[in-house]
Amino acid sequence: MAKLDLGKVKALFTEIKDHWDTPAPGKYVPYKEYKDVVFAVGSNYAGSKVLEYISFASACYLIMHHYKLPYLTFSVISILNMPLGYISALMWWFVCDNLGFLPKKTERKFYFVYGLMALFGISTILFDYSRLFDPTSSFITYLNGLEGMNATACFKTFGTHFLYTGWVGARNIFWRKKLLPKYGRYKYSLYCDVVPKCIMVFLIGWLPVYNIPDVATRVWVANLMFATYNVFGFANNMEICTKSISPNLQERIYVRSYPVKISHFFHTIVGIIIPAVIGALRYEWADINVYRYVIPITFTVLAGFTMAFAGKIKERIPQPPVEKKVQIKFWDGMFGVLKNKYLLIKNVVALIDSLGNGMLPFVTIIYFYTFRLSGLPYSLITILISFAGTPPDFLSPYFLKRFSYKQIMIFYQLTRAVGYAIIAAAMWFCGDNLTLCGTICIVVMFFMEMTKTVPTTAGHDMDVRIGDYQMYLSGERLESFAGVFSWFTGPIVSFVGLLIPLMLLAYGFNSNWDVLFIDASRRSIIVIPIIVDVIGFTLMTLPYLFWDYDSKKQNMVMEVLKRRAQVTEKKAKEAGETVSGGYLG
Amino acid sequence: MSKKEIKINNQNIEAHLDIPEDEIWTYRVEGLAAPHINKPYKYYTFKKIVFALVIIVAISLSMYFSVRTVQKDTFEYKEITDGTEVTYELSKYSNTGYMTVLDIDYVSTLSYDRENPDVNTNFIVDKDESKKVSSVRAYALNCDEKIQVINIGAGVTNVDPKAFYSCWALQRIEVDENNPNYCDIDGVLYSKDMKTLICVPCDHDTYRAEKYGHAEYDENGFRIEPAEDSENFAQYKKDVLTYVIPSSVETIGQLAFNYANMTDVYIPEGVKTIETLGFFEIPRLAGIYTYKGEYADTHFTGEEALGEVYLSLPEGLEYIGSDCFSYNQAMTYVYIPESVTFIGHHAFWDTCYKQDGELKGVTVINIARSEDDFKANVKTGDSWRPSYDYMLFKKSLDVNYSAQRETK
Repeated sequence: MAKLDLGKVKALFTEIKDHWDTPAPGKYVPYKEYKDVVFAVGSNYAGSKVLEYISFASACYLIMHHYKLPYLTFSVISILNMPLGYISALMWWFVCDNLGFLPKKTERKFYFVYGLMALFGISTILFDYSRLFDPTSSFITYLNGLEGMNATACFKTFGTHFLYTGWVGARNIFWRKKLLPKYGRYKYSLYCDVVPKCIMVFLIGWLPVYNIPDVATRVWVANLMFATYNVFGFANNMEICTKSISPNLQERIYVRSYPVKISHFFHTIVGIIIPAVIGALRYEWADINVYRYVIPITFTVLAGFTMAFAGKIKERIPQPPVEKKVQIKFWDGMFGVLKNKYLLIKNVVALIDSLGNGMLPFVTIIYFYTFRLSGLPYSLITILISFAGTPPDFLSPYFLKRFSYKQIMIFYQLTRAVGYAIIAAAMWFCGDNLTLCGTICIVVMFFMEMTKTVPTTAGHDMDVRIGDYQMYLSGERLESFAGVFSWFTGPIVSFVGLLIPLMLLAYGFNSNWDVLFIDASRRSIIVIPIIVDVIGFTLMTLPYLFWDYDSKKQNMVMEVLKRRAQVTEKKAKEAGETVSGGYLG
Repeated sequence: MSKKEIKINNQNIEAHLDIPEDEIWTYRVEGLAAPHINKPYKYYTFKKIVFALVIIVAISLSMYFSVRTVQKDTFEYKEITDGTEVTYELSKYSNTGYMTVLDIDYVSTLSYDRENPDVNTNFIVDKDESKKVSSVRAYALNCDEKIQVINIGAGVTNVDPKAFYSCWALQRIEVDENNPNYCDIDGVLYSKDMKTLICVPCDHDTYRAEKYGHAEYDENGFRIEPAEDSENFAQYKKDVLTYVIPSSVETIGQLAFNYANMTDVYIPEGVKTIETLGFFEIPRLAGIYTYKGEYADTHFTGEEALGEVYLSLPEGLEYIGSDCFSYNQAMTYVYIPESVTFIGHHAFWDTCYKQDGELKGVTVINIARSEDDFKANVKTGDSWRPSYDYMLFKKSLDVNYSAQRETK
């Protein structure tokens, strides 16, 4: 048995003590910040996970059980929103990749356009534009025939997207400019969004929109309510912030492997408590009090914790001061991201991944409809499976050194394909034997979770490297202009994303989830989309064969970025200009 | 050095580049593309045009195919050939949003009366009487919220039990009297020989309320029921909330009563099978009774008309399908007669619950057979007994073997 090396433990303790407030030579993050990462990321991550219980999507129990909205309606809404999405994306990218700092004239034009959009959106909600058309025209009868919609609802849904886009766009310029220099590019939004988000989370449970009898009215009112809810974000910002916590590659991976992973225990604890509390309610998951009390109160507490620690985490991307950064012209942004080979690889993978779009959350279905889990047993089994990924995660630094990202990602896709194939076979051939089928599913999911965390860490680091490489290529990370790939893939994705919902509709899945209690229907509804997903995972290995961006290249890119920051800041100071928001590395 | 060591060394390599100040925006790292910052592109205009064209074509194609895909005809049929005759299966019906009556007899198409601006009446259903509909596919009318009446024609010989699943507004299913396989009794679908009850429409109680003069509506058009302590509630319960299954019935079909608004049901003693989800999610269903007499009607006038009546499931019942009585928390008494040989998984799921620390609903399952006899001769599915919260976990309900049936 290996002896505990007391010398090493003591050295580690001394190292932490000595560098509690100031980072060790060659490093950038003091150990005190490791502690802050645990609390900030922990509460932010757990809070964002709590919000997964509420979404305007078919996978949300609130939507499907209480609102009873037809499954295909969500696809119809996304098609209605698609054209405006393309136009608004242009403006959005331009604002984001210039960090909200636009030339005065351009800024005024943008505010004007966003204002018009919002006004048009409000007018569609107040007035019924469908009355301007002949009710017997093919256009109106077509809209009336859409699943869960009618012409009135279509116009209002269309207008809601205008309102949403205008509102979000104007806020984006205003708050970025005001908060980004002080709080950094990844966490500034928490400061302006957290309070309205908490209010909206409460309103969603308390506004009785689900009692509206007419389905088409229910659809557009719910869409409006959730659009307002989505104006305010509470994403996993603090964890994203840790991706750029240090320009030192190893230190970055250490932070992401230890304090960040430890912080996920917050989510584990919340993940045990919430289902246990829900299990104690009379109607369990179907009880509306889940959305009136359990979710809002939990979220508000976690949001409070997040804000208490958010200020203590720093972004350390080597970059010139905000005032001296490279101004990105629209077409330069477009062509800049198209030159990034590694971004292309990731986008091709995402495109293939869309083969599984539209499938139901089959793990949840297995838990709820096959095994009828609720309360503490549900908590324990979900925690057991999600915990499976934690031990391998602590070994991430070793695996990331030992294997190339290419190997890790190919291994990941293949394990998904094999795992899902086994689950599909178990559901198909022994779905009637709940014990046997359940055991197979749980064991496979356990192993899949075990083999997921290292590739996830690798995937995050690949994203950061892609951003660094883009900064080297174009002078900015162009994280928003990177969305131009979705312009090409989006049309395909949206079409492919319709196929599974249509398939599910044929097997009986519409707005009533109870169809999943019918064994034969449940089997088809789960298994057929999984088979499509298995094909997708297998194909997703191919693009990774072209990934050749190794650590040597990454280190050299970082050197270039540091040098640019140094020279730019030096020149600005020589010219006597005030600068902020830069980082020399 | 081994390949592994080389790889690890590569990870740790410290790069030191000596970049002159005037080359910071142009310095190219070996093996990577050169930076392109604030410099003009070659063929800039041409590239812009190509880019814009590709995007426009991609978006247009996507919109076209997406719109085509979600566009559904009101009626969709599939041709069926049995060698001698070509008939059609109604595979999908998509409501225009305003249709409340649906005829299933001939292949139909929809057109609009351009002179009529009223969306509730401006459509015309055109029937092609040379094309007969013989079958209705599973989930053909899945989750429709408008259709109130379905008329099934003489030629329809096969209706899937799931065809009208979750048609929330459906009050009546009327069958042509010449149909060889099906009939209806007062808007409820039966097999022609009256041995199988196939479908009680979800909103059948509204039809009964209107028929027996109990229908009242609020200003929003919602039907309101008499209060339980009002003087006419007893009669309302008899006329609307109680259903008598005719004595000829031997099988209660899959999903037959799902989501029905009823408090009591009288089952004839001849029933042998209750299929999967036969009485699924009927939250007000408190009384399940069996009667021995002959009764052809479905309207409850009083127990004296039904002959001898006893509590719970009928003697002679053999098969209880999966999720048969799930989520019926108003039930309080279950007795499984000796004749039962199969109980499907989750048959009585969630029929008990805890309130203020006290167990409510079905608190014990009574079984006629002895424990040994039951375990040896009755096939049961997983979790056929309900379970309840017990010390943070779930505990299956107790079973009372060799039980005597309670008397009324």
